[in-house]
Amino acid sequence: MPNEFSEFKDDVRKVGDKLKNLSGVKSGGQAAIVVLALLLLAAGFSSIYTIDPEEAGVILRFGRYLDTTGPGLHFKLPFGIDKLYKVQLTTIRKEEFGFRTSQAGVVTRYENAEYNDESLMLTGDLNVADVEWILQYKVNDPYKFLFHVRNVNKNLRDVSEAIMRLVVGDRSVSDVLTTERVAIADQVKVKMQETFDLYGMGVTVTNVILQDVNPPETVKDSFNEVNAAKQEQEKMVNEAWEAYNQAIPEEKGKADQTIQVAEGYALERINKADGEAKRFRALFRAYVQAPAVTRTRLYLEKMEEVLKRPKQVYIMDPAAKTLLPLLNLKERPAPASAPAAAAGGAQ
Amino acid sequence: MKTWGILILALVALIAFKLCTFVTTEYNQALIIQFGKPVGNPVVKAGLHFKTPFIQEVKYFDRRILEWDGDPNQIPTKDKKYILTDVTARWRISDALKFYQTVRNETGAHARLDDVIDGDTRNVISNHLLVEVVRNSNDILTAENDEFDLGERIKLDTIQFGREALTKEIFAAAAAIVPQYGITLVDVKIKRINYEESVQRKVFERMISERKRIAEKFRSEGKGKKAEILGKMTKELRRIKSEAYRKAQEIQGVADAKVTRIYADAYNPGRDFYQFLKTVESYDSTITEDSVLFLSTDSEYFRYLRRAK
Repeated sequence: MPNEFSEFKDDVRKVGDKLKNLSGVKSGGQAAIVVLALLLLAAGFSSIYTIDPEEAGVILRFGRYLDTTGPGLHFKLPFGIDKLYKVQLTTIRKEEFGFRTSQAGVVTRYENAEYNDESLMLTGDLNVADVEWILQYKVNDPYKFLFHVRNVNKNLRDVSEAIMRLVVGDRSVSDVLTTERVAIADQVKVKMQETFDLYGMGVTVTNVILQDVNPPETVKDSFNEVNAAKQEQEKMVNEAWEAYNQAIPEEKGKADQTIQVAEGYALERINKADGEAKRFRALFRAYVQAPAVTRTRLYLEKMEEVLKRPKQVYIMDPAAKTLLPLLNLKERPAPASAPAAAAGGAQ
Repeated sequence: MKTWGILILALVALIAFKLCTFVTTEYNQALIIQFGKPVGNPVVKAGLHFKTPFIQEVKYFDRRILEWDGDPNQIPTKDKKYILTDVTARWRISDALKFYQTVRNETGAHARLDDVIDGDTRNVISNHLLVEVVRNSNDILTAENDEFDLGERIKLDTIQFGREALTKEIFAAAAAIVPQYGITLVDVKIKRINYEESVQRKVFERMISERKRIAEKFRSEGKGKKAEILGKMTKELRRIKSEAYRKAQEIQGVADAKVTRIYADAYNPGRDFYQFLKTVESYDSTITEDSVLFLSTDSEYFRYLRRAK
C-alpha cells in the first residue's frame, strides 16, 4: 500500500515537473504548491465512491471491517487506508453440474463435452443414474461472503455434488428418473443451505433445479424397454376392459329382452285365459237355460261341418262283420283306386 | 522551499510508518518472525499493528475456511466392491504458530490432510458395506414405486448407519488428529462415489438384465390382468344371462299358475259342458280331408239311418 503511494507520488512529481516546464514557472516554491494541490485533488477523488443499486460496499479500515454501505455516493479515507470491496447482492448466481452452457440466448447452446464425473452417481439400489442440475444462489451477507470462506465457488460446487449424491443415494433409480425429481431438488436445497450456514458462507440457495436425469447411455435402451412394457401392460388392460365394456351392456340388453319376452308371454297367456274363461262363462250361462237342445245343436252343427271334410267316410252296421263299405258318401273320381286311397287315408 | 520541506518530511514519515506497522485484513492473520523464529502470539485480529523495523518480518496466513479436495481413491468395501471415493473437506488455520511450526504453509497442510483424511476414509469405508456408503436411510424400503409392487423391494438390504453417519465417523477421526498441525477441521463430505471402470461395466450389464426382467414382469402382469378381466367378463355374462333366465321362468310360472286358476274357476261349474264342448271342438282339428272315417250306424249322428226314431 505505501508502495502504491510512493509510485503515486512519483507520478505526481513527474506531472508537476511537466507543468513547471509548460507554464514556465521557475520558482521551486510555487512548484511544490502545485504538487501539494495535485495531491489533495487525488486524495479527494480516491475518497469518493458510488455503489450501484444491486450492489453493497464493504469498507475495511487498515484491514478491519468498518461498515457496509448501500447504494449511493459515499466517502472513505484515501490512499488505501480505507479499502472498498463491492459485492453484487441481488444478482442470482448460477452453477451448472453435468453440463455447461457455452452460449446462452434465444437458442441456448450447450457444450458437447461430457461431464460424466459430475453427473454419474449411484442410486440406493446400487444402480447408476446420470443427473444434471443447476444451482442458483445469491449473496445474503456481503461480509461473510467476502471474508468467511476463501473459495466460495469451489465450496459451492463440492458441497452441491456431495449433497446431490447423498440425496440421490437414498432413492431407487426408477424414482430418481421419474417421480422423485422435485423431492430430490427440494431436499438438496435444504441440506445445502444447512451446510452453507454452517460454513457461514453468506449465501442463500434460491433454487436447485434438476435438468436432464437419465440412465447411463449404455443402459438407456433397457430403460426404454421397461417404459414400453409399462405401456404395453396398460394397453392390454385397456383392451380387456374394452372387450368387457363391449360385451356386458349387450348381455344386459339381452337379459332385459328375455325378461320382457317372458312378461309378454305371461300377459298373453293370462289375457287369453281371461278371454276364454269369459267366453265359456257366457256360453255356459246360456247353455244352462236349455242344456239338452243346445248340446244336440252344437253336436250336430259340428258333425255337419266336420264330416264334410274327409274324402272317405264309411258307415257300418254293427251287425256287419267285415270291413266292407256300405255307402260311399262321396263320389270317387276313380273307384278302382279306392282301396289304395283308403289305405292312405288310414294312416 | 518551505513547501518542499513539508513534502519531504511527509514522505519520510510515511516510510517510517510503513516500516513500523503492518496490516492484517479480515481474511488473514499474521505471525511476526524475528531472525527466522516466530515471536509472540499470532496476530488474529484485523487491523493496524506494530513491529520492529528491519529485524522483524511478517508472515500472513489465511483465516477463512479453506478447501481440501482429495484425489479419488479406489477403496474396497467390506463386501469387496471396488469403488472410487472422492472426499472433500473444509478446514481452517486455527493456530497460526503451530501451523507454521509443523506444516509451514498450505502445501504442507494439504499433504498432511491427504494422509489423515484419506487414511480415515479408507478405514471407515472398508469397514462397511457398499450400501451403507451409498444410502443414508431406509426410506427407499418404504417408498412407493410400481416396480417395487412387482416384488423388487425384497432385494434391498436394510442399512444400519448410512452415509452421513460414516462421514461423521471420518470427520471425527480426522478432526481429532489435525489440531496438532494448528488446523481445525470444519466439515468432511464424500463428494463422489463411483464404481471402478471394470466394475461399472458389470453394473451396467446387471442394470440391463434387471430392466429386462422388470419389463418382462410388466408384460406378464399385463397379460395376467387381461386374463383376469376377461374371466370376470365371462362370469358377468353368465350371471346376467342366468339371472334373466331365472326371472323369465319365474314370470312364466306365475303366469301359468294364474292361467290355470282362471281356467279352473271358469270351467269347474260347467265341467260336463266343458268336456262336451271341448271334445266337439276338437273334431275340428282332428278330422281333416285326409282322414278316413269308419262310423257305425250306432253312432249318435248316423243312428237315424237305421230308423228315424
